[in-house]
Amino acid sequence: MKSKGLLGSAPLSDRFLSVFVYVFVIFVMIITLYPFLNVLALSFNDSVDSVRGGITIFPRDWTWENYKVIFSFSGLITGFKISVFRTVAGTVVGLISASMLAFTLSRPDFQGRKFVSVFLALTMYVSGGLIPVYFLIRDLHMMNTFWVYILPGLVSAFNVFVIRSFMDGIPFALQESAKLDGANDFTIYWRLILPMSKPALATIALFLAVGQWNSWFDTYLYNGSSEALTTLQFELMKVLQSTTSGNNVDIHNSNMTQMMSTVSPESVKMAITIVVTVPILLVYPFLQRYFVKGMTLGAVKG
Amino acid sequence: MKAVTTSVQQQTHKLKKERNFWRTAIRNKYLYMMSLPFVIWVFVFSYYPLWGWTMAFQKYKPARSFGEQEWVGFDHFKTLFQDDTFYLVMRNTLAMSFMGIIAGFAVPIIFAVLLNEVRSMAFKRFAQTISYLPHFVSWVVVAGIVTKMLSADHGTVNEILMWLGLIDQPIQFLAKGHYFWGIITVSDVWKEMGWNTIIYLAAIAGISQEMYEAARVDGANRIRQIWHITLPGIRSTIVILLIMSIGHLIQIGFEKQFLLGNNLVRDYSQVLDLYALEYGLQLSRYSFGTAINIFNSVVSIILLFTANGLFKKITKESIM
Amino acid sequence: MNQISKWSSLALSTTLVAGLLAGCGSNNDNKENTASPSANNTGSESAAPEDTSPLTLTYYSEDPSPNWANMQDEIGKNLTEKTGITLDAEFAVGDAVQKSSLIAASGEYPDLISAKQSIAKFVDAGAVLDLTDLIDKYAPNLKKLFEGNMSRLRYSDDDHAIYVIPSYNGIGQEYFNAGGGFELQHRVVKELGYPQIRTVADYEKAIKDYLALHPKDENGNPNIGLTLNADDWHMYISVTNPAFFATGGSDDGEFNIDVDTQKVTYHFRRPEEKEYFKWLNHMNAEGLLDPESFVQKYDQYKAKIASGRVLGLIDQDWDYGDGEKALKAEGKFDYGYGHYPVTMSEDVKEASFWPTGFMAGSGVAISVDNPDPVRTIKFLDYLASDEGQVLMNWGIEGKHYNVVDGKRVIPQDVNDRKVNDATNFTKETGIGLYNLLSGHYGDGVKDPSGNYYTTSFPEQIVASFNDAEKETLAAYGATTWKDLFPKEEEFKVKPWGAAWNIPIPGDSEAVVIEKKLTDITWKRIPEAILAKPADFDKIWDAYQQELIKANVEKAEKIREDLVKARVKLWSE
Repeated sequence: MKSKGLLGSAPLSDRFLSVFVYVFVIFVMIITLYPFLNVLALSFNDSVDSVRGGITIFPRDWTWENYKVIFSFSGLITGFKISVFRTVAGTVVGLISASMLAFTLSRPDFQGRKFVSVFLALTMYVSGGLIPVYFLIRDLHMMNTFWVYILPGLVSAFNVFVIRSFMDGIPFALQESAKLDGANDFTIYWRLILPMSKPALATIALFLAVGQWNSWFDTYLYNGSSEALTTLQFELMKVLQSTTSGNNVDIHNSNMTQMMSTVSPESVKMAITIVVTVPILLVYPFLQRYFVKGMTLGAVKG
Repeated sequence: MKAVTTSVQQQTHKLKKERNFWRTAIRNKYLYMMSLPFVIWVFVFSYYPLWGWTMAFQKYKPARSFGEQEWVGFDHFKTLFQDDTFYLVMRNTLAMSFMGIIAGFAVPIIFAVLLNEVRSMAFKRFAQTISYLPHFVSWVVVAGIVTKMLSADHGTVNEILMWLGLIDQPIQFLAKGHYFWGIITVSDVWKEMGWNTIIYLAAIAGISQEMYEAARVDGANRIRQIWHITLPGIRSTIVILLIMSIGHLIQIGFEKQFLLGNNLVRDYSQVLDLYALEYGLQLSRYSFGTAINIFNSVVSIILLFTANGLFKKITKESIM
Repeated sequence: MNQISKWSSLALSTTLVAGLLAGCGSNNDNKENTASPSANNTGSESAAPEDTSPLTLTYYSEDPSPNWANMQDEIGKNLTEKTGITLDAEFAVGDAVQKSSLIAASGEYPDLISAKQSIAKFVDAGAVLDLTDLIDKYAPNLKKLFEGNMSRLRYSDDDHAIYVIPSYNGIGQEYFNAGGGFELQHRVVKELGYPQIRTVADYEKAIKDYLALHPKDENGNPNIGLTLNADDWHMYISVTNPAFFATGGSDDGEFNIDVDTQKVTYHFRRPEEKEYFKWLNHMNAEGLLDPESFVQKYDQYKAKIASGRVLGLIDQDWDYGDGEKALKAEGKFDYGYGHYPVTMSEDVKEASFWPTGFMAGSGVAISVDNPDPVRTIKFLDYLASDEGQVLMNWGIEGKHYNVVDGKRVIPQDVNDRKVNDATNFTKETGIGLYNLLSGHYGDGVKDPSGNYYTTSFPEQIVASFNDAEKETLAAYGATTWKDLFPKEEEFKVKPWGAAWNIPIPGDSEAVVIEKKLTDITWKRIPEAILAKPADFDKIWDAYQQELIKANVEKAEKIREDLVKARVKLWSE
């Protein structure tokens, strides 16, 4: 009879595990913190001094100059506003679309299940290319609009499948009993399944938010001449361009305009990384609380 | 007599099936309403643009309209398969993909599982946040750091190896082709591990606490709990991610290979997407680029169905 | 309850469709109205007799212009005042060629297009106008500017139309300084008593001798004889181009073209260049070449230079400039670099300054969608006029420069701002933002008042040298580095300009062949340089064989035809 009970079963292997866990986790933290600290240090370091290399986690020659360069670009405020809008809108809309689809696909009694799954899955691996999509956007009159940030990418197969996998873990019996109580499918989705899928929703929300926050290519292609619709990342790309000596340089024309910039590209790149990352870092802790351990699913075995 | 009854039976059976179909459809009406708009959406934005694939069979010139393009059949594909570089590139792509999938699954899963064992919530959250920071640092910056660390001129790795007495001369890691695949894999794990654990941690959060209670009562130590509860609990998540990753086997992008590579290791660093960029888009050879695109998609779909089918049989989990 | 849920599910599904329709409604129509508030408030005061009513034109450029201030800067406002034109501009971010392809394919074109090499796509699409008549009738200044060179503006032998007004290359451009050649630190030549640095043997000896005297720096780190910049495209500048400069060839891209016969050779096939790379191989064998040359990235290269340990470079000053700037910031001026016209032997002339004549090249085109091509060409003409050029380069008289005794002078405080607060200065004044919009004169050309059109001239260059540079220059009997190099007059003008400037038709086989050749070259050259000297010949021969197998001779032939066509086009 295993009568060890709770206290007795703290065997050597458990303590071993604890030690191992802490050592491993701390090791990981050190090696993953380093690049970020390095970037942070370089962003506060004088650009000319940075060229000398050798900076690890502390700036050697402190300066605000790199950040000043970034914030001196007027488009930044508008870019920030639009980026926030698209991140919020895109995340909400994306969550609803992905979770709704995932719900329908998680239902074993849904007729269209197989077809929709395949139909969706294929989209992850095929693409018509830049030109057809560009024409489509243009023909749908979405050029120079805010909606081009939200609508084309509305449905993401990946997100749907991840959420569905979570929903599959919720016992169907719960839905059946709700049906007996008179709920229709939509109510079940909205009031029963969604609240139980919080960890999945939080995860996908994070992915959606980061995706929206970081994108600039769509701004470039479709809203490039629209000042009112610029996004933060796009503005920062412009900042980077202004100080990059060499990416598009005409190698036969030693153009002296490159020499005009007083802030070297490396330092500004670092400052840009920080400016873009910090907002996300502030968002994540809010989502973390949804990753709460354990859901009580009632008497039915999981 | 029997023959007649059988065909009548068949007919009624068919009618019954049809009626059943419609009956189920009506019952499913909300489910249809909740999915159909999106299906249409997907069709418009993902399937309709596929008409662009016709470019691969033409000598595409952006100037001319669709009707005016010159048709060349499978010529571009022939060019592709006759190019020696193509095979070299495929080899590199597959090698790095395999290594990437193995490392890219093993490490985040292990990390997620271990992180879950941490008692203190605060420490756990803190560790998690830190671990995904490199995800936000662009590859340009990470490649710079890696290059510096592997440098033969006071690079960290060489310094450590020499201090440990394992080598007496610094090694130029980035000059040797056969180290390249390993360097790419390790760098990618370093950068993405923290981010990739997010999904697994969320999956672990979905496992019922009661199961752990029950196991503890049964006297299982934590290692056994991990093995018998945590891992199986996230198995479905692992499987669907694995299926999707296998589909992406040859679409691994090129940014990190481009940034970490150099001319000395080109034979090991060039990958399919980079080849497509250099010989397709950058030379304005849209048709050729599209041909590679189609090749990519076809292979991916085959891989997807194969992986899906396999896992369906073995583990009963699949995405389709 | 059920009713509500049913409606809400319906509502939800249709919201998204409604969103699409709403998207149509809120569409900010027409680029012309978005970002140019000034279009309405330009007064119609005009000194010039032309039509100066407000007109906004859209402009797309493949080059970035991050300091663009929507013509709200001082020059911009002045231009709008004088011509009534405001530009609504979109500049490239990242890979411009993709965007250009999309625009060319889309059928809707901006009014003004500056598409550099992508212009071919627009021409093929029929998107741009032939400017020949417009220039002839309405652009006297442009005519004067391009007098004698008009044939160079023509598109091709089959198509004599003028689609582009060259705006990158200036007429009469002169160079006052040399930024290339081989570099050596000032302290090296100083300590060795300023020996002659004319051949690779001289160069090698200087490095060797100095290293013998100072093998390590003050921190105990070894000094490096020579390091190369081989990160991606920097390979052209530091590794492969010097091969032709040092062997008497001029810059025609990847090919060497005989000035008399126009015979084209892929330059790596010249036997002289084999000797050059053999010399680099020898440098490597002697331990004088940095073994990390082909592994290091650009910022590592610059960091090495900034550490002061690198005695010699083979590069262009704008390519290693950041590293040198760091040294100067520390006051280590004698660790800076001088430029020397090194070649394989004394009878070979360094060809950095082989003259090409006016190269035409990339510039501005007017699209078929332009609402008023006549006013547009007049606008471009104004920019090319004497008044316009001085405005763009110098600014507004009294504000950005003064005329003292007939000479244009920039006040010290303005100049300080220009150099130290460059970004804001550009945004406020607009100096430097409009130069690529139209044809213009180059450096060294004087206007009717006897002043230079541009703000770069010889006296200025000399003034910018620091003491260490002046000391070295004086020791070699020169005022600027260019004095050490063979002058333009010593060469025959190339009737085709420069081969890298000649566009290859997009569907030509040469495009793919040349890419393959570059791939082979970039793999083999580093291999050959780093190999053991005994293996060099073997590797080189294998390399040459690979080139032939990859159809190099076909590429040469195609190029030759293009060059001959260009010569014909330009000489009529």
